[in-house]
Amino acid sequence: MLRASVAAESAGIPSATLVCESFMTLSKAASQGLGYPNIAVAPVRGHPGLQSKETLQQNVRELTLDGVLNALLKMPVAVTVDGEPGAQEVICSGTFEEINEYFLKHELSDGLPIVPPTVEKVEAFLRHTDRKADEVLGVMLPDNRAATVWSVAVNGVMAGCRPEYMPVLVAAVEAMADHDYGVEHSGNTPGGDNLIILNGPAIKYLDFNYTQGVMRDGFQANTSVGRFWRLYLRNVAGFLPHKNDKATFGNTWRVVVAENEDVVAKIGWTPNCADYGFAAGSNALSVGRYTGGNHISSVSGATPEELMPYIADAVVRQYSWQIMFSVGQGYDTLRPLLLLSPIIAETIASGGWSKEKFREELFKQARMPASMFEKILRDWTQKPTWNLTEEHQAGRIPKMFHESDDPERMVPLVWRPEDFQVVVTGDLGRNSIYVFAHNGVLGFPVCKEIKVPGK
Amino acid sequence: MANAESQYAALWPRGPRQAKVKPLAKRLDTLEGKTVAWVWDYVFRGNEVFEQLEASLRQRYPGVKFLNWDLFGNTHGSDERNVVANLPQKLKELGADAVVSGMGC
Repeated sequence: MLRASVAAESAGIPSATLVCESFMTLSKAASQGLGYPNIAVAPVRGHPGLQSKETLQQNVRELTLDGVLNALLKMPVAVTVDGEPGAQEVICSGTFEEINEYFLKHELSDGLPIVPPTVEKVEAFLRHTDRKADEVLGVMLPDNRAATVWSVAVNGVMAGCRPEYMPVLVAAVEAMADHDYGVEHSGNTPGGDNLIILNGPAIKYLDFNYTQGVMRDGFQANTSVGRFWRLYLRNVAGFLPHKNDKATFGNTWRVVVAENEDVVAKIGWTPNCADYGFAAGSNALSVGRYTGGNHISSVSGATPEELMPYIADAVVRQYSWQIMFSVGQGYDTLRPLLLLSPIIAETIASGGWSKEKFREELFKQARMPASMFEKILRDWTQKPTWNLTEEHQAGRIPKMFHESDDPERMVPLVWRPEDFQVVVTGDLGRNSIYVFAHNGVLGFPVCKEIKVPGK
Repeated sequence: MANAESQYAALWPRGPRQAKVKPLAKRLDTLEGKTVAWVWDYVFRGNEVFEQLEASLRQRYPGVKFLNWDLFGNTHGSDERNVVANLPQKLKELGADAVVSGMGC
């Protein structure tokens, strides 16, 4: 909303942005990064989702109307932005405890102790990349800061990474800065967090866990790189809770998940990075944002046909309001993610199923009645424009969502089989899967090569 | 045994800000005879809020005109970047004098 208002202001057209009262702090913080710290907003009382039509109208008349008039007719008072330290400046000196107190006090830490980012430690990280320290990997909203290789190293040190992880950190920030990923949405209310999936020889030579407990903290590479992502979101993108991060509940950062490429090769499947155009054996990472997930235990059956109904049902059960990213708010941007434990993948493959065949069957079976699809979007979440018939007739969605007028017809979650992301990892001896609820356009999966110096 | 008195010089972990403070557009003297564009992210009943605002504004400014939200597209979806990038041009083409953008909730 603010970004649209800024577009108008930049064209010389005054704007009023309608902002719920509880979002005023976020609005103020975001407006700085957009270069309009004094942009005017009009308050919306409470939340419209919980108000009768009469109450909503009354609130608009009593509060929002004056806010709109003020914003459009009165020039807001000019605001200056405080200066900041230089990009490579020492900001404090002292003992470990004193440094940590300073970082906590100045909102530069996630609440856990950080490793003090000294020049010596940062330079050790920089020796593990060919990139120049001042190279800008992208510009991060909402704070609108340059993501420099230097800042990657600083936050990598703080997170407890080893210097040799630096190429992974650089690739992660390149993913964060990718427009398709949409980092600017990382503070939205569903509070989803990212998941990094790692492929390539780096898994073994950097000692990432890719077997039992793959999503558990306790493995330095997986854990510290996961923490790095959140620190970078905080310190460079600018997502601070109670400011630009408006997660209703939020999630803790996720540790990196590495794929079990030994099993993938053994069953003749392709690794996750291959779905993004990288050859098997490439060092690469993908990143997407997920609002939650569920462990699906004891997936049982001797054939893929026997396994599929439970798996497909589990996938559908993870998707409620997120289907708005298939039809609606984010057309064709839903990319569900499944982690298959190795013996599940082996059982599926032993039935002669390729990864593609598995996804085709999932596409056929992971469906819900059209009436439910529409009810979630139109009634339960009060989205006014979603009707599958009208959307199809307007040419905005494929025919598969409107094969007939039967409200009980089954419609898919996604537009095509390859929209399902499938990764083999986890306990070698357990028959479970994990299904993630994807956050659509607000964290669309992207994949980046991990460039190792000298290779 | 670790030396608890070791001293560190810690570096700034943030990146340099790229946004410079820019001036807001000139405000209007009145909405009478002006055209107000509703710009929407298609959530949180913005269409109903716009309807009520439209009715209230017409009472105060009988000559005010409006441009409906469906002329601009969704400002917060898969097409957000295009919609926002095209907004200045579209607003000018349609003769908008002011914009009301919702819903930040």
